[in-house]
This record gives sequence, structure tokens and C-alpha cells, in this order.
Amino acid sequence: MICCKECLDLLYDYLEGDLDAETTKSLEEHFEDCPPCISFLNTYQSTTKICRETLNQVEIPEAIRDTLLKVLKDHKESN
Amino acid sequence: MSFSQPKEDKEVEEALVREFQAGNLEAYDKIADIYQKKIYGLSFNLTRNQMDAQDVTQEVLLTLFRKINMFQGKSAFSSWVYRITLNASYMKLRSKKKEPNISIDELMPSFNGAGFQQEKIQDWSENTESLMFTNETRDVINKAVDLLPEKEKVVFLLRDVEGLSTEKTGEILDLTVPAVKSRLHRARLFLRKKLSNYFEEFASRKAEK
Ligand SMILES: [Zn+2]
Repeated sequence: MICCKECLDLLYDYLEGDLDAETTKSLEEHFEDCPPCISFLNTYQSTTKICRETLNQVEIPEAIRDTLLKVLKDHKESN
Repeated sequence: MSFSQPKEDKEVEEALVREFQAGNLEAYDKIADIYQKKIYGLSFNLTRNQMDAQDVTQEVLLTLFRKINMFQGKSAFSSWVYRITLNASYMKLRSKKKEPNISIDELMPSFNGAGFQQEKIQDWSENTESLMFTNETRDVINKAVDLLPEKEKVVFLLRDVEGLSTEKTGEILDLTVPAVKSRLHRARLFLRKKLSNYFEEFASRKAEK
């Protein structure tokens, strides 16, 4: 059986679907016997998801958008 | 988990770039419109400063206007834009005093001699929903990302936040695919650990009530 360290090292490729069938099988066997690694897998995936959701919320403030538009317009006209 | 740019988008963009290179200013407006939010978002997440992100966005949009003929189509147009954005953001960061990075290695998982996990791992993944939209949670997440060392942070922002493919991230940063993967994995491990501290503490606060 693979150990937790190997399991966590394979996590990335496992989620990408990049592991061969045999490695996937031994990883899934490990998960069956190891609740901590299941928790690790779940929270690893959650981390990506909630960070993406949070950091994607950045919007350009209205005032900045207006300034940018004006700068670009002036620039185009001066060319 | 990756959602790379759909093919049609890429073709539309390339057509716009050719039109603009041929002198069509309306094509430029469309390009600026498509990229404005991405440029601002990426530079804001790197600099954490509205003024800096504004300066970077303006600078990049003007560079696209002035130097569009320097784009020769050797890589994807979006890769070119992302690279210019990163360079401009790094210039901003370099002009500031930097807090020393904390060591990412200290936050990597620890194992016993047999390779089994040493810490108690709580599964907080089901409990994030109710917390997701509080300012406190957002703050914790932003700060955690901010603490990432530069190399890991930029890979994380391009791949996981912008949703670019591993290959494309490698193209933009001039890194091999294995290098992108290993930096991203380290970034995720680091963030997982940081967020675990927060969500676990939150769970115990709730239990005490
Ligand atoms: Zn395990």
C-alpha cells in the first residue's frame, strides 16, 4: 500500500486525471483506508475553489474605468 | 479543473488583432474591452493596491495600442498581454519595500517515519459555504494568497484564478509543465494549510458557544 506522503504527492495529477489506471487504483485504495487523506483531498479541492471565487471578485471601480476610457480616448485622438 | 480559452474566442481575438494592426481603431476598442478586466484583476491580485492596478492597466492598454505591431503571433495574443501585465506589475512591486517572505516549506504537510500523516486533518470543506461571503473570510483568503512567495503566487493566479491551462501558464512564464505543476501544488498546499488554521479555529469557536 502507498503511504500518505506518496498519496499527497500524487494528488495534483490525480485531480487532473493524469495518472495511469494502476496508480489511480492504489491511490483510491489508500483513500478507502485513510480518512485523513480523504479530508486532505476535500480541503485541497475546496481551497482552490474558494480562493478562485474570492480573487475573481475583483472589479474595476467605476471611477477608474472612466479615467481609463478618457486616457485611451485622448491618446487615440492625439495619434 | 482547467478551463482554457475556447477556440472560437481565440480566433475572434486574433482576427481583432489583425484588424487593429491594419489600422482599425474599433478593433482596438474591442480588444481593450475584452482585456481590461483581466489586466486589472491580475495586477490587483499581485499588487493589492487600486492605484497600482490602475496604473498597470493604463500602461498595458497603451502598450497594446502603441506596440501592437511588435506582436508577431509566435505565441497566443493573450499570453503576450499577460506577460506585459506581469512585467508592469513587477515593476510596481519592485519600487516598494517588501516584507520578507515566510518560508513555504514550514507549511508543507508533515509525515512520520513510515510516511503517514502526522497532523490531525479536519475536513472543513463542507463548512465553507456559510462563511464564504463574510468579509472576515475574504480577508483571510486574500492575506493567505498575499503571503505566497512570488514564484508560487504568479502560477497560482494564472492557473487557478484566471483559469489558464498548465501549458499556457508555462508559455507565459517560460516554465516547463512539470515546473508549473510543482509550483502550483506547493501553492495549494500552502493555502490549504493557511485556510485550515482559519476554518478549524472557526469550528472550535462555534463549538464553544
Ligand atoms: Zn493517508
